[in-house]
Amino acid sequence: MRDPYSVLGVSQSASDEEVKKAYRELARKYHPDNYQNNPLADLAEEKMKEINEAYDTITRQRAGGYSGSSDRGYGGGYSYQQSYTSASSNPVYARVRNLINAGDLGQAEQLLYGVGQKDGEWYFLSGSIAYRKGWMDEAMQNYTRAVQLEPNNMEYRQALTIMQRGSMGGYRPAGYSSVGCDPCTTYLCCSLCTPWGGPCC
Amino acid sequence: MFGYVRPFQPELKCRDYDLYRATYCGLCRCLRRRYGLTASLLLNFDFTFLALLLWEPEDRFTPCRGRCHVNPLRRLPMCPGSEALELAADESVILAWWKLRDSVQDEGFWRGLPARALSLVLRPACRRAARRCPDFDRTVHSCLAELSALEREGCPSLDRTADAFARLLQSAAARDGARGRVLSQLLYHLGRWIYLADARDDLEEDKLAGRYNPVAARYGPEGDDSALRLTMDLSLEQMGAALQLGDFGCRRPLLENIIYLGLPLVERAVFDGSWRELKKQKIWGNDT
Repeated sequence: MRDPYSVLGVSQSASDEEVKKAYRELARKYHPDNYQNNPLADLAEEKMKEINEAYDTITRQRAGGYSGSSDRGYGGGYSYQQSYTSASSNPVYARVRNLINAGDLGQAEQLLYGVGQKDGEWYFLSGSIAYRKGWMDEAMQNYTRAVQLEPNNMEYRQALTIMQRGSMGGYRPAGYSSVGCDPCTTYLCCSLCTPWGGPCC
Repeated sequence: MFGYVRPFQPELKCRDYDLYRATYCGLCRCLRRRYGLTASLLLNFDFTFLALLLWEPEDRFTPCRGRCHVNPLRRLPMCPGSEALELAADESVILAWWKLRDSVQDEGFWRGLPARALSLVLRPACRRAARRCPDFDRTVHSCLAELSALEREGCPSLDRTADAFARLLQSAAARDGARGRVLSQLLYHLGRWIYLADARDDLEEDKLAGRYNPVAARYGPEGDDSALRLTMDLSLEQMGAALQLGDFGCRRPLLENIIYLGLPLVERAVFDGSWRELKKQKIWGNDT
């Protein structure tokens, strides 16, 4: 196993606080939310496992070999779970979900196109395949259609919301918040827009 | 090919700026040495980015000094020849060649004349490059053929046309192993983003000329900026997510600057019409 300190990118002499900070930054980076339905999700999961283990090892060592439950400060650490676990009533959809999870998009697509009746789940799965392929526009259209057909389905709505946040979601390393959207500019814009020329809130 | 992929210079650290410049000059020299003087005209920012991506992560930045061929009196720091530079050079020659052939076919006899002349000059260079990377040569040829077929039939799907170009760029890196997967995901979305940015940039021009434009075909003649921006931002998001999973050694901060700051800036400029001015701006200020 690699040295836990180098996994977290801190020196052996780092304080507990620094170790925790480094861990949190990395956990934010490889957070499952950033890799939902991403073809590289398994790589992110591996990284997450590695940093969780490294953090656990360090805390255990520092606690003097005491092997209790570790406190990662983030509710016991993050863990990955595959997105498509909810059971489908239709056996074809269940197979399509399995194929998407396995990354076999061609087969999944073929199977899905064999289904005659297009319902909310059909559009949702079709959107998921498109998203995996990187066809973001078609994914968006299909998710939207799925939500229109079944507005109460949380799974479909969540998928659509994640797409709609666009560049506002995802991880950015410190110092890379998008140019022109930093708090100063926003503050200036706000203050210029209000009739009294001051901050709006 | 297009020059959309550039760093955001005000936020670059000095060492990253030096690294960028040395890579750019190194690529120029590599093109010149491998393919002759005309080939260094093909030098651009996009392939500098490619060279940075393909570079072995363990390789440290150790510039040597070399003569600039534009001004042979000047000696500039340059990255010494490396596999990544050579691959980027080979691939830029191949892509340039097929783009030229493509425009020769699309344009009429008179308007296609400059492209025809240039492709004649580049022909031997391209033959050599194609021998060095036969797979890339084949993929570029087939993807561009597919793309022009889609454009001829007026394909209404934005993703389908962008996909053809994205797959072309994706094939610039080997796909095997974890590193290969990261690179191919990153390059796919870079290709998609470049294609869409270029389509948006040409929207007005294509409308006047009555040519096919994927953005117009999908959203109507006026386009739909907010929807297009969203879908382009999603590609940038995927690039960032892929970048974080790869090992890029000392080149990471520079790559992060390009993906998180440079590309969004260019995207904004393409949408608000200031891209034409931005394009002319040199990244190297007046320090030379």
